[in-house]
Amino acid sequence: MPRDRDRGEEFARPIRRLLVALLVLACLALFLVWRIDSPRVERVRAQVVDAVVPRLDWMMAPVTGLAQLAGDFRSYQRIHEQNLELRRELQQMMVWREAALRLEQENAKLRDLNNVSLDPQLTYITGTVMADSGSPFRQSVLLNVGGRDGLIDGWPTMDGIGLEGRISGVGQTTSRVILLTDTSSRIPVVVQPSGQKAILTGDNSAYPLLDFLEDRDAVRPGDRVVTAGDGQLFPADLFVGRVAQGTDGRLRLRLAADYERLEFVRVLRSRMVEAIADPGGLIVPVTGIEPPPPEEAPDLIGPPLPPGFLVGTSAAPATPPEGVPSD
Amino acid sequence: MIEARPPKTQPWSARITYLALAFVLLAAALLPLNTVPRSYGTPDILLGVTAAWAARRPDTLPILVIAGVFLLADFLFQRPPGLYAALVLLMTERLRRRSTRLRKGSFPGEWLAVSLGIAAVGLANHLILSLLATPQAAIRFTLVQIILTIALYPVITGVAHMALGLRRPAQGEVDALGHKL
Repeated sequence: MPRDRDRGEEFARPIRRLLVALLVLACLALFLVWRIDSPRVERVRAQVVDAVVPRLDWMMAPVTGLAQLAGDFRSYQRIHEQNLELRRELQQMMVWREAALRLEQENAKLRDLNNVSLDPQLTYITGTVMADSGSPFRQSVLLNVGGRDGLIDGWPTMDGIGLEGRISGVGQTTSRVILLTDTSSRIPVVVQPSGQKAILTGDNSAYPLLDFLEDRDAVRPGDRVVTAGDGQLFPADLFVGRVAQGTDGRLRLRLAADYERLEFVRVLRSRMVEAIADPGGLIVPVTGIEPPPPEEAPDLIGPPLPPGFLVGTSAAPATPPEGVPSD
Repeated sequence: MIEARPPKTQPWSARITYLALAFVLLAAALLPLNTVPRSYGTPDILLGVTAAWAARRPDTLPILVIAGVFLLADFLFQRPPGLYAALVLLMTERLRRRSTRLRKGSFPGEWLAVSLGIAAVGLANHLILSLLATPQAAIRFTLVQIILTIALYPVITGVAHMALGLRRPAQGEVDALGHKL
């Protein structure tokens, strides 16, 4: 009894217990709502992040700057080795440059022959990285561009060289990029010389998996991998990386984008994104369950043939249903 | 002559200390220093700090503050919102109920109780997410995170004791208004 702290507030304890139970239930309810109707709660999340993170910038920017300064300073210490290394690399690069010049001329000639024009509608916005996901289980970064700059959910992001991820969650002034290494990232890709299609599956490691390959033998380490442009997700032919074989024998991807130091990120204005507005309904075929009534085949005698047997055209075209979340 | 000093930790200052610490830890985790996936889990220092507060000075840790801090963390860290917060609330309530008994015992007893709580939170979180088929990282990350957080607990309490004055109240200690702690 003497250690009973709130003797005088005996009446308050059941109320407190009730408050605790209500709070826990409210949290669990929020979690369930998120699991059921994720897009709406994710929009709330984007707004929360939008309200909080830019206000932390005054504190985070100097600390980040100092840490990067320290990193740079460490790299000065081994400047001599780096110098030698660079000379060696420069020599190799001279060889490559010759090769590149030759290829460029050849390429220009071929382009001229083919009358190819690159997609002029693929413009981009550049943002800087404000924060990362803050958790070892999630791979994403927060950019300082948002709905104010016209960003839309689903746009691809690159650094100068390769694909990095996609926009998922747009606030007024911030937006989140889910990196290709995140466990929820799935991107349709094409392996270049063989034309094999695959799904690039993030698994929280630095080298995402190459899944659903049709013919594994046609793919070898070192092959170029670009986006496929399937599923109305990304424009085709964005460079993603090169195939590598993991120690477990599975095919993985060495990403072309430099994840070591994501600082400036290009957001491509893709024209083919699909807005995710609802949690997604059942996936049912929208057209053509009923095959067209088979024409009477007076010449044939016997049991009626199954529909679609006579003419190849009566099979319903597999149109993707609308409103299915693409991720 | 030694004058009678008021107890070192006033409830309000301890509350503000906790909030400031939580704020700093949240911001520190968000610093964009490492965007390459790590092959290990990192300790959840915020959870360790909260457990230390709940085990030592539960009177300075209002439940609304815990709920607010962890919901914000859920939103900022891309975790499924609400689940982790609910589990942490359950853990702190358990520690709070046991805090008077823990106070009389030794530090290993407190460490054990807190370790059980931290492990339960991590494993329950992983289990529920797998049951609901939410995409998540492999379980070894969760295990490493639990072990590191537990291993860091003495460090956290040590630092909190020295720097922030978070200590277990002595038997019969009273606060400024004469209430028993």
